[in-house]
Amino acid sequence: MAHQAHAYHMVDPSPWPLTGAIAALLMTSGLAVWFHFHSTTLMTLGLILLLLTMHQWWRDIIREGTFQGHHTPPVQKGLRYGMILFITSEVFFFLGFFWAFYHSSLAPTPELGGCWPPTGITPLDPFEVPLLNTAVLLASGVTVTWTHHSIMEGERKQAIQSLTLTILLGLYFTALQAMEYYEAPFTIADGVYGSTFFVATGFHGLHVIIGSTFLAVCLLRQIQYHFTSEHHFGFEAAAWYWHFVDVVWLFLYVSIYWWGS
Amino acid sequence: MYYKVSGVTGKLTGATAASAYSPQGLKATVPSQAPPMIFAVPTKVVSETGSVAHYMGINKVPELQKIFQKTDGAPVHLKRGVMDKMLYRSTMGLTIGGTLYCLMALYIAAQPRKPQ
Repeated sequence: MAHQAHAYHMVDPSPWPLTGAIAALLMTSGLAVWFHFHSTTLMTLGLILLLLTMHQWWRDIIREGTFQGHHTPPVQKGLRYGMILFITSEVFFFLGFFWAFYHSSLAPTPELGGCWPPTGITPLDPFEVPLLNTAVLLASGVTVTWTHHSIMEGERKQAIQSLTLTILLGLYFTALQAMEYYEAPFTIADGVYGSTFFVATGFHGLHVIIGSTFLAVCLLRQIQYHFTSEHHFGFEAAAWYWHFVDVVWLFLYVSIYWWGS
Repeated sequence: MYYKVSGVTGKLTGATAASAYSPQGLKATVPSQAPPMIFAVPTKVVSETGSVAHYMGINKVPELQKIFQKTDGAPVHLKRGVMDKMLYRSTMGLTIGGTLYCLMALYIAAQPRKPQ
């Protein structure tokens, strides 16, 4: 008994776009209220609403795809385009911060001492923790590829183990970076060096946390038999995002940590 | 220093403490009795093996597919019944309440401060 004569997905009416938009309103106005009136209530409310929206919206997508079968090949193609476009937009986001870094570091002003790193800044040794961080992320790129092949070959136990290892490596990176932030001899307030360093690496760290969370959701789904050897786009999207995070780190490491020291 | 007679040269040579204390090694190299030979294991049904099929839980997807494909007209965000409804209502409550609180806060913030 066919309800539609096409392979596309006409979604059920959903309240989550509205709740998400309101969450954005509450977070932004909440930020202004925090700055001027020292109250974090509105902003916290916005954050809670954001988390509720993300949980229910993505839960519904899993229901529509895995349980209701709406993710036909043309629909999956659209989802692939969507993820690629989103990652491309994130590439441009990071490009801006790299532009800022190179703008300031290629022609250092007299106020900085006419040199880079600026006078008075002791940069981190690129061959200590930052090099370890590079190895950790590269290893996690290997383990996530291992996971993909395990899923495609129907190796359930290996997929679960390699995906767990990938997430642990991501958490290890985050912990190492947090320790580096704490121990750093310079702060975000230390001129343009501090600004470019902490904003670029800070946003990268946020993306590592987002990527690790995405992979963790995929791990739960893999344990619950959501993925088949032919159809596991949710995992592929997470893996693409993870490789993107890894590549951004490589650029950060070479530009800011290594060349910039 | 420990000593042994070398098996190669037949002369006295140095040895480690481990080989001095147990010259034939710690594990018996030849078993005293041959292990029982098993030619065939009675076949087990796949659902009983529990080795791969039940690694970290059983597959509940077919059962969930039945629940979500019920033709009860419910939209996907309410398809699972009471839990979905409660979560939706609390989210919507926060949305509407939050909007009103936000509009009030913005109205108050827009009021000019009293000159001092």
